[in-house]
Amino acid sequence: MCSGLARRLGVRKRTVRIVTVLLALFFALGIAAYMTLWILQTRQGESASIFTKTFNDHRDKEILFAVSIAVLTLLITVGTIGVGPPGAFLWFLALSCLEAVMVWRGASEEERDHLREITSSISTTQAGRTVGWRAIALRTGLGIIFIIWGISLMSRVSGERDAAAYVLVGASALVLGLFALFAPWWIRSVQDLSMERRARVRAQDRADMAAHVHDSVMQTLSLIQRSANDSNEVTRLARQQERDLRSWLANPEMFGTQSPTPRTLSQSILDVESEIEDNYDVSVEAVTVGDAPIDDAILALVAACREAALNAAKWSGVRDIAIFVEVESKQISLFVRDQGSGFDPATIAPDRQGIAGSIVDRMRRHGGTAVITSSPGAGTEVELRLPRTSS
Amino acid sequence: MTSQRLPTVFLVDDHALIRAGLRAELSGHVDVIGEADEVAAAIEMILERSPDVVLLDVHMPDGGGMAVLRAVTKEQPEVKFLALSVSDAAEDVIAVVRAGARGYVTKSIEGPELVEAIARTAAGDAVFSRRLAGFVLDAFANRSHDGSCAPALDPELDQLTPREIEVLRLIARGYSYRDIAGQLGIAIKTVESHVSAVLRKLQLSNRYQLTNWATERHLL
Repeated sequence: MCSGLARRLGVRKRTVRIVTVLLALFFALGIAAYMTLWILQTRQGESASIFTKTFNDHRDKEILFAVSIAVLTLLITVGTIGVGPPGAFLWFLALSCLEAVMVWRGASEEERDHLREITSSISTTQAGRTVGWRAIALRTGLGIIFIIWGISLMSRVSGERDAAAYVLVGASALVLGLFALFAPWWIRSVQDLSMERRARVRAQDRADMAAHVHDSVMQTLSLIQRSANDSNEVTRLARQQERDLRSWLANPEMFGTQSPTPRTLSQSILDVESEIEDNYDVSVEAVTVGDAPIDDAILALVAACREAALNAAKWSGVRDIAIFVEVESKQISLFVRDQGSGFDPATIAPDRQGIAGSIVDRMRRHGGTAVITSSPGAGTEVELRLPRTSS
Repeated sequence: MTSQRLPTVFLVDDHALIRAGLRAELSGHVDVIGEADEVAAAIEMILERSPDVVLLDVHMPDGGGMAVLRAVTKEQPEVKFLALSVSDAAEDVIAVVRAGARGYVTKSIEGPELVEAIARTAAGDAVFSRRLAGFVLDAFANRSHDGSCAPALDPELDQLTPREIEVLRLIARGYSYRDIAGQLGIAIKTVESHVSAVLRKLQLSNRYQLTNWATERHLL
């Protein structure tokens, strides 16, 4: 820009630059003039100046209008606070603000990139950067100038009327200067902090995952290796691990924090399923239709179900146990079935605790029934029914 | 079945180990006429060889088994699908069955049961696991856990007959079709036709729970 002006005026480039900077410092006239030139001059290799471009674009015009209103409002506010009519300095500053907006909107992609580079280089303090030193020098200079200006304005406070305004402007200048000096460092440290935090969260996740895989999968694998000759044990371990992984995948947050007391019937049936699978070499598949909240009667039902499944695991001689629970509005039905050796219920002594006490009597106490159907060689089915009082 | 020709089966699964295991378990009982480990190859080979039954892994990469199912069914509706999966989550089951699979078995199924399921699929019958039966009972039951029970729009499709419910309950309790026939005093063929009727309803019904699964899985 300055070089274009220099060519036109026939002066050395550097002289024009220095004059511009000086003008900018003292009156802000320099800034305004610089911006005006930037807008009106047609860039090398382009057909239209930014000014004409802006006025051909409807959207740009709107934006410009909005910004002008904002700037005017600001000026009037400043005026009413007590600086008196806005001085030349402020007018020029306002004008340059508007022009800056025009430049930003109207600049070509190339110019915009350049501007972006400058702005981003201002906000970096990394010493190793090659573009760094100029930006740092510029910023430091600006910061110091603003601070000195601010302090001098504040120390000039003597008259009563203008005191507030001077203090206000001086303080603003001071803040601006401090901001220019320290903002990049501050922004960078905030960025670093959030980046670090994110990295830490990710590392934490990975550590959790690794811990889980170690605790569960690795342990199981080593157990499987040790008991490689015992195929039943291997199956049991694999099944346990499978269930564990499944519940972890389904709900990682809840994993390991399962409440000790299940809240619903289906949850407690699942607990029975896993308890029996873990302790006996059998596979229990529970199918539940509907669900109900736990109460005393349902607890009894679950306990009876557990007893029936335990019997099947111990005595049936087969490895598959099927549990089916259906919750209807008037009753809950629960079936525990195996297709194993079966037995003749008549041959079981009536004082045997297992069936009589744990299943039949328990159900009866809560108003339910238990029917055991079995015959040698045809498997066993325990049928439990519990009427529902509520709902 | 010994006098008839063996049903021809095509395996689609992206795990070579699973395919090898299936081949070993099925050898002698069915005629495995091919296998594929990815969607595009599977579609091409199935259309070329027209097997009786495709054993399909639901959880395949590239759109999964659903893509195979849809592409083949469009061209050759007579090819029957039996879905095979490690998961027995209700939405997986319902998704494949509604897309046209004749049945669904989990990978933990024992060899003889799988052979039986394939024979049943080849014969055009439905294969219901205990869990699938449980889900259908749940989805078609007229109970209102949450008060969101939509009225049956089409009684023909949206409701099960009492007999169908009985059959499903027995399946969920772990009874074989033969046991069910004995229990209810009906012929095995009748049990099969009840189950097929339920499958049809499951595929065509617009019941709230079913359509919900379907929309969630972008099937509609």
